[in-house]
Amino acid sequence: MKMSQNTPDKDEDQTSTSQKTISLPISRVRLIMKSSPDVNCINQDALFLTTKATELFVQHLAVSSYNNRAKQETKSLSYSDLANTAEENDTFQFLTDILPKKILAGDYLKSLEQLQEDDADF
Amino acid sequence: MASSSGNDDDLTIPRAAINKMIKEVLPNVRVANDARELVVNCCTEFIHLISSEANEICNKSDKKTISPEHVINALESLGFASYITEVKDVLQECKTVALKRRKASSRLENLGIPEEELLRQQQELFAKARQQQAELAQQEWLQMQQAAQQAQMAAASASASQQAGSSQDEDDEEDM
Repeated sequence: MKMSQNTPDKDEDQTSTSQKTISLPISRVRLIMKSSPDVNCINQDALFLTTKATELFVQHLAVSSYNNRAKQETKSLSYSDLANTAEENDTFQFLTDILPKKILAGDYLKSLEQLQEDDADF
Repeated sequence: MASSSGNDDDLTIPRAAINKMIKEVLPNVRVANDARELVVNCCTEFIHLISSEANEICNKSDKKTISPEHVINALESLGFASYITEVKDVLQECKTVALKRRKASSRLENLGIPEEELLRQQQELFAKARQQQAELAQQEWLQMQQAAQQAQMAAASASASQQAGSSQDEDDEEDM
């Protein structure tokens, strides 16, 4: 079954992804899936489902992070908003490996000192 | 933006696609560049997550190919059950669209005309072409003949002054 969404700029969906079509490049999703260890054959319909799920995921992550953002007074989304959401939200826990919370150098040094003090207590 | 080194791990969804999706759900929101980059990577991570889970489910079943069912079960077990209704709808829509497109292209090829009629039209066209070809050939032949006659007449009148007896032969030739 030939789909037109094989390239990013050829998608039929000109408007919203909440409409019943897919705007992510399906071929790219397939490539990424196949780079997972042990994954062999993927049914075309399964590929569509995964692609759409990925779209929903991106939007879900963005919206959750935004609603949860540190700076409620501004309309902006920062890296740490995303990182915090990953940490605090069970669904997004799997992201914590690739989403290390950026830590201020000062805080890091402080926590190091704290560790040293703890050690000293032994 | 896949890496040219061909390293599988560098495969990601194109940034433009991600930006577009973010813009749709968070219009007028300023999103930091490093945040966008992060979302791109989260995407890849998510795909791996679903693939691995679906693959495991697939292995447990007696199938060799990851099916839609496997993906749906994976979404469920990973806490993304809320996506299931919408992804199912989209699948249905994709199939419908593909079906319509197949029907439309075959309709275009036929122009709604049944095959016998198309054949008949084809025969007509061939016949017409043959006729035109024949008429053309005949015209050319006539022209050639006229040209040949004129050439002969010119030659004859040139030699008529030399040979008085050859006019009898010319008359015979003109009757042809």
